[in-house]
Amino acid sequence: MNATHMMQKPLARLLAIASTGLVLASAAWAHHSQSEFDFKLNVDVEGTITKLEWRSPHARLYVDAVNEKGEKVNWNFELPSPNTLMRRGWTRDSLKAGDHVKVNGARARNFTTIAYARVIKDHNGVALFTGTTKIYEPETGANTNNAVPAAIATYCLPFTA
Amino acid sequence: MPLACSSTGRRVTAPRARLFATALIALGATPAVALAQWLGYPTPGIPRLASGAPDLKAPAPRTREGKPDFSGMWFANVPSKDNCKEKDCIQEERMAREQINLGIKMKSGLPYTEWSKEQMAQRRANGGREDPHTYCKPPNFPRAWTLPQYIRIVQTPGEMVMLHEFNAAYREVFLDGRPLPGNPNPTWNGYSTGHWEKDTLVIETNGIRDDMWLDIQGSPVTESARVTERLKRVNFGVMQVEIAVNDPKAYTRPWSVTIEMAIQVDSTMLEEICLDDEQDVKMYR
Repeated sequence: MNATHMMQKPLARLLAIASTGLVLASAAWAHHSQSEFDFKLNVDVEGTITKLEWRSPHARLYVDAVNEKGEKVNWNFELPSPNTLMRRGWTRDSLKAGDHVKVNGARARNFTTIAYARVIKDHNGVALFTGTTKIYEPETGANTNNAVPAAIATYCLPFTA
Repeated sequence: MPLACSSTGRRVTAPRARLFATALIALGATPAVALAQWLGYPTPGIPRLASGAPDLKAPAPRTREGKPDFSGMWFANVPSKDNCKEKDCIQEERMAREQINLGIKMKSGLPYTEWSKEQMAQRRANGGREDPHTYCKPPNFPRAWTLPQYIRIVQTPGEMVMLHEFNAAYREVFLDGRPLPGNPNPTWNGYSTGHWEKDTLVIETNGIRDDMWLDIQGSPVTESARVTERLKRVNFGVMQVEIAVNDPKAYTRPWSVTIEMAIQVDSTMLEEICLDDEQDVKMYR
């Protein structure tokens, strides 16, 4: 288990797409601006799920991992709301406590173990829908009238079975 | 058919998705099979093609009185998109771009007054943290048309009810000829009456609150606003909602935008009670 700040290649591409928007907008599922997250604080966490919290307005995935100092930490990854997830094929049992998982996310500005999940891969390396990689940075509002949101993207790997 | 993630999160190829749809239709024929929250349960009484798929191009349904019937579940008409390559697939989430900026399709954007510009500058400086929606306040109309939750319209001759998944909220639109209130106590959805202009339902609203936002970027709306929504059901699958705002405090002139909504069938409302587990507000501090 480890937590690194290495950016995976596909993610780099996603971010490149996202950065083409001058003013980036919020996630489809978000009920808020998301400025509480710093999308430059990229985190990659590999560890063991301790809980999938299936509640509104955001489901949350808690993951035990070991940080750079060798300390065990419990990450809190924010996900879309359960209703959005269910419409994209999730159930509350899609991930279970004890499962191994890899998560990429953007860390909260003021909380070191809370992050916004962008990419989740289960123990088979299969990516689950996370809803978005959209970023909203209102302080960059160069054009508040006609901001064109960048592509909203999430990962789904090709069907491999 | 758009790509979809399977229950394991894997992308389902189009033929497989068709198989899945066929299976769902088959399930509809055997109602003893329980589907989670009725997701995939066939909506009865809707026009369907020979394949069993909903006939989205069918004529707009009408009530017994001959008026267009808007009843049904609706979501912004934003199809799922994907940019699939051989190994990776970027799948876009459905969302109305107007959720961020209601005037996004207007050439010069919304015509903000100086007061509005000051409000928005402050909101930007604070990272949008004062957005009432963040604090789980109600999904106020007209913003609610753009939010990422379903709206169910229930229409009777004398009243239209709009149910919204967010906070399991409701809005009433009276079609019984009553006038708008003269000195209304401001509320989140204000007071709405509707009348017919041929096949268009014209909804007039006053009495909305001063502290509501129209979009995530914080476009204001005030107690002085008069909002007019014009609903047109183009066909079975699509409804157009023109939103016109006349709010001299917040905007230099009246303006309007049109949101296109798509019917949602073979699905169900899924409540989203925001205060159940709201954890973001603490992170703004």
